[in-house]
Amino acid sequence: MKYIGKGIPGKTNQVLTAGKGTFVGDITLPGICHLAVVRSPHAHARIKSIDTSAAEQLPGVITTITGEEIVRNTKPIPTHSSALGEKKFQLYALAIDKVRYVGEPVAAAVAEDRFIAKQAAELINVTYEDLPPVVDAEKALEAGSALVVDEWGDNILSSRIEVHGDPDARIKEAAGTVRGDVRTQRYTGVSIEPRGYLASYDRYRAKLTFWASTQSPHSLRLFLSEILGLRESQIQVIEPHVGGAFGLKLPTYPEEPLICYLAIKLERPVRWIEERTENLLAGGHAREMRLAFEAAYENDGRVTALKVRLLADVGAPSALCGWGMANVAAFLIPAVYKIADVRVERITVITNKCPWNAYRAYGKEASMLMLERMMDMIAERTGMDRAEVRLRNFIQPNEFPYKQVSGASLDSGNYQRVLASALKAADWRGFPALQASAKQRGELIGIGLAYELTPEGGCIPKSSLLSAYDGTRVQVSPKGEITIMTGVTSPGCGNETGIAQIVADELGVSPDNITVIQGDTDVCPFGLGNSSSRSVIFGGSAAKLAAGELRDKMARVAARMLEVSPEDLELDAGKIVVRGAPSRFVSFGDVAGTIYRDAFTLAACDEEPGLDTTRYFRHGNFDAMNKQPDPEGRLNFYSTWPNGATIAVVRVDIETGIVKVLRLVSVHDAGVLINPMLVNANLHGAFAQSLGGALFENLVYDDAGQLLTATLMDYTMPTAVDLPNFETSHEETPSPFNPLGAKGAGESGISGPMAAVAGAIDNALLQAGLTVHVMEMPLTPNRVWKYIEDAKIAQGNTPK
Amino acid sequence: MQESYKTMKTPVEVTVNKKQYKVDVDTRMILADMLREELRLTGTHIGCGTGNCGACTVILNGETVKSCCIIAADVNGQEITTIEGISTSATELHPIQQAFVENQGLQCGYCTPGMVLSTMQLLKDNPNPTEDEIRHGISGNLCRCTGYQFIVQSIQDAAKRLSNGNGGKSTPSR
Repeated sequence: MKYIGKGIPGKTNQVLTAGKGTFVGDITLPGICHLAVVRSPHAHARIKSIDTSAAEQLPGVITTITGEEIVRNTKPIPTHSSALGEKKFQLYALAIDKVRYVGEPVAAAVAEDRFIAKQAAELINVTYEDLPPVVDAEKALEAGSALVVDEWGDNILSSRIEVHGDPDARIKEAAGTVRGDVRTQRYTGVSIEPRGYLASYDRYRAKLTFWASTQSPHSLRLFLSEILGLRESQIQVIEPHVGGAFGLKLPTYPEEPLICYLAIKLERPVRWIEERTENLLAGGHAREMRLAFEAAYENDGRVTALKVRLLADVGAPSALCGWGMANVAAFLIPAVYKIADVRVERITVITNKCPWNAYRAYGKEASMLMLERMMDMIAERTGMDRAEVRLRNFIQPNEFPYKQVSGASLDSGNYQRVLASALKAADWRGFPALQASAKQRGELIGIGLAYELTPEGGCIPKSSLLSAYDGTRVQVSPKGEITIMTGVTSPGCGNETGIAQIVADELGVSPDNITVIQGDTDVCPFGLGNSSSRSVIFGGSAAKLAAGELRDKMARVAARMLEVSPEDLELDAGKIVVRGAPSRFVSFGDVAGTIYRDAFTLAACDEEPGLDTTRYFRHGNFDAMNKQPDPEGRLNFYSTWPNGATIAVVRVDIETGIVKVLRLVSVHDAGVLINPMLVNANLHGAFAQSLGGALFENLVYDDAGQLLTATLMDYTMPTAVDLPNFETSHEETPSPFNPLGAKGAGESGISGPMAAVAGAIDNALLQAGLTVHVMEMPLTPNRVWKYIEDAKIAQGNTPK
Repeated sequence: MQESYKTMKTPVEVTVNKKQYKVDVDTRMILADMLREELRLTGTHIGCGTGNCGACTVILNGETVKSCCIIAADVNGQEITTIEGISTSATELHPIQQAFVENQGLQCGYCTPGMVLSTMQLLKDNPNPTEDEIRHGISGNLCRCTGYQFIVQSIQDAAKRLSNGNGGKSTPSR
């Protein structure tokens, strides 16, 4: 029985459905007290004074804290910047001197209960000197703009211009050019569980225990040890059940060291559970980018040049890794297409808004949207079918590994096959007939197509968070029970189940009999947690190596017990069997028992005792195996390159601009799938987030830098009635660079639907005689209606 | 100033999952927090505090409510069922829960208790819902992980199990 490739439900389903999961807010300890954070009400201001005296007098208040105490007693939070040439910025667990976004932590109160803590926070009196806020990325670049960081002299975190070939020359020669101005809005992950932390310090053991709704406990431990001046071994970070993360729970938020510092100071457990408004204000944002493009094409649909100006509004500087999404958006261009003459100008701008944190897709969604809009426009100009024009420009299957002009090293793929499969599944050719009969009924429907490239296994130089390796320990007990302890974690996506399946195949034992432990720095080998689908690719590959080692040892011992050669043995169904002679076997448990309990018997005495090994796996696919820039100074940032085709069918109401997604068809290639059920589950979630971003979600700031969408009453999330059934199927082009052949599917599906819906809207409106190229997200009814009205005016006609 | 900040408590007598409780709660406390903090029934979750996400769904006097929008003091003398109360035994899940487990109707599990109780209400009111009715029935419960499709499938499977008699099995679809 092989478990890899089987769709089995998640191992944690039972506990979670029973309501017996343990999320950080579920944990209580004797003597627990509660933290409330005082947050800046201003987008940009100098802190003039903080008076905590009224708060301290409130009965039940244990302590208050301001930045001044933090600076005296802790080190700055390690940031992710300067790895790629970003300007340096120093920050602490509380704001010092200046506040740079509404919601930034400025002070805090700890009290016996949450009500008193909140009251105390309200009594802390902070006086500010208001400064002009920087809320628009274009305006932030103008001379004379207010500066978010005075010392920088401008509002640019980093910028880069990369030119390959001679795009200007190609543009001059070309048959035609298309231009567009794609804008993705600011929005975010909104996991249903917001952030939460519980910290407890034991003075006698000099040990800090920190329960955190985080994705990367070991990285967090490392950062905390630097901030707090503790040894790593003095800190235990535990990631309990996490109610969704999607990247937004990657370290380091200011509340994390803040609460740990307070727990150490007070020697009482301190808990903070974020309220939703705090989460929307300060829990990490994403996506706000502008990609202005110009592309040249030939009459046969070939794209001969592409110029992009990418402007990213990453919010205030922080210790989060979100700003990297702008780099990735630039790096992905031109994705699956062969375009040799490319110019990409990326400008990453800081503003007085909430800092970006990683959000599923991590910037890929923006460049996909831009490229797919470009392709649709070129199809329109040349009169070609939208699928044909993409096929004309795809990288060919025999050209892999393919180095893109940006340095992206694409491992393997067959885009043609994936696209063909999607066109068939969606009945692309049959759609015009459906469209015509819908029009007869007075309905405008449209179909759109998008091809997404969703690389995984991110690897950034000098990163303690995003690196292409991880470690897993596999242990077999004296009774033959298998335990996996891994450095990768799961915020609910199911990789613990996939990793159990991988080990199940190596050792021939059902995953039901395998225990997986994740998220405890005292127990699990050092690892970088969860992001970029790394858990299965790296953690799973490391698990395969470790389990394989144990498999080999057990086979050697079993071979002596059975007097055969180890090559003659198979491990299956809890037995170690002679191939072709099913009656000749020893049980898995007996072999383990022999190794542990009869260590000096002939069968076992030549082996190192025990069945317990930790292996680390490093992914291939990086230049010179060492992650160095190539002769042209380019770096590859990703290990694997899943990709897929998405086709969306929508109905547009021309009177109201309301868009209804009728069908979403996806064919995806994520290499070998460890667990197709969990892959589909993850895909569905990604589709929902992509459609949410396409049609509903928006974090809106006013000109004063105040967030107007600070509750779920204002921030629109897709519900079950807003989404269609998703039709998914898979192709498999394995990764040549890891022993699983897997590419990871955690972010797959996040980019395609948004771009496909945009194309489908244009296609629907064509039925009304309107030529529209929607470019600005989200495509709310208001915005779609405006596109319709503008087109009517521009074309001077009224649709029937 | 301190007078107006004095904590005020009020006694609440309530039956939760067929067990009677008597607690003194802060007058500002919401029902969700009373269940979680005072009664240590942490299966009911808080996701938004504004009645939008449904993670806090419980059954109050036979109907689902969003417990983040109910003041704990107001349930004095009432009867509540939470996710912890619907299993037939300590180790056997309710057929609706079993359907969710087998159909992968969850991932992180945070919305799941609320989703399961909303399903219970839906199938009580409409034992054989269409897919559209299912989607409407859970439109007050947000899920960020699943995209809802496997939840819909779970509910379809749950409807079959309940109509086969409690605990009746049916083949889960993938």
